[in-house]
Amino acid sequence: MTTTTLINPTEHEAEKASNSYLMSLIAVIAGLPLPIINLIATLIFFIGNRKGTYFVRWHCTQALLSQLSMLFVNSFAFWWSVSILFTAETITNQFIAYVFTILIVNIIEFIATIQAAIKTRKGMHVAWWFYGTLTNIICKP
Amino acid sequence: MKKLIFQGLVIIALFFALWFSLRAVNWVKLFKIEKLTNNTQKKLGDLFWETFLHTEKINSNPEVERIIDSIVQKICVANSINYASIQVHIIIKEEVNAFALPNGHLLIYSGLIAESKNADALSGVICHELAHIQLNHVMQKLIKQVGLSVLTTMTNGSGGAEIIKKTLHTLSSTAFDRSLEKEADLKAVDYLIQAKANPLPFAMFLKNLSTQEKKLSGFTNWISTHPDPIERAKYIADYCKTPSMPYQSIISNQTWSSLQNNLHEQ
Repeated sequence: MTTTTLINPTEHEAEKASNSYLMSLIAVIAGLPLPIINLIATLIFFIGNRKGTYFVRWHCTQALLSQLSMLFVNSFAFWWSVSILFTAETITNQFIAYVFTILIVNIIEFIATIQAAIKTRKGMHVAWWFYGTLTNIICKP
Repeated sequence: MKKLIFQGLVIIALFFALWFSLRAVNWVKLFKIEKLTNNTQKKLGDLFWETFLHTEKINSNPEVERIIDSIVQKICVANSINYASIQVHIIIKEEVNAFALPNGHLLIYSGLIAESKNADALSGVICHELAHIQLNHVMQKLIKQVGLSVLTTMTNGSGGAEIIKKTLHTLSSTAFDRSLEKEADLKAVDYLIQAKANPLPFAMFLKNLSTQEKKLSGFTNWISTHPDPIERAKYIADYCKTPSMPYQSIISNQTWSSLQNNLHEQ
């Protein structure tokens, strides 16, 4: 669920905005299992661009917020798996269902991120459901 | 702001709806996880037992084996425990010890049999170890102390002899968590009552062994590694304060004497 509008940013702005989404995919590319890596990569990019133009800041914020929520759901799965491997916790239907749930959520987020990266590179403004609304409140022109 | 809260709640609701819907599927059965766990248990049990076979002297007297088996069988039948799943082994060693390995291996040291005053006391210890097996304490302890990843590596044949020995040492000479030990003690009392055996000799046995601990220094592993025996004897005695039941010994006095004689001959 996204809203796309054409606002004609400069070539440099479109590239930076697009990169903010690509940064959140860095952990997937590097094959790292820790969910916090995505967030750190996006956060570094966000801090680096906090004085950028509104278009760049807005997309950096949206990318960061989506990664922040992903961190919670992924971390929960990560520590649950650790407890199964190293404590008396066992594999249950609840755990497997949770793993599948976050797998689906991560796939949706992954596709949405790639789509946002492509569209912002073309100079289009992409606002996601909930995250776009939240970014509008946080990020002011 | 209202729009934001509404959208946020919708996302959370969708997430939980997806999770709860997926929970309805019996994934454990679908992925045959129980079968995989049982296979791991079987491999681990056999691996540990083979290691034990090379290092310890195993009982060779068929009469001793027959009598101990009859005790275990009687307890199993009375408590609807699958007797075929329990593999009893008697180790010839002075140490007063008994412990369980994965896949239903129950190891009893001759020192424990010799030190038991009667069959009911020995049955109490056997019931305690059977409870650890039935309540899956053995695998719980292994996973907690060694980790599932190491255990899986062991079953793949790449665990290394040193790790296997250390893990085996953990199983044979350390107790479970205090709560698990108490659970096994109380379950043992239930098993004894179901088998119409008096649980008090088991409590007395713990009490007596604690007083003899100094005398038998180094040979009372089962007592020294477990929670305070006096405390255990007390809660066992308290737990079995049920209206007097027509208890009967698990084996006759004559069979008990025969067991002790055969054991001394070895």
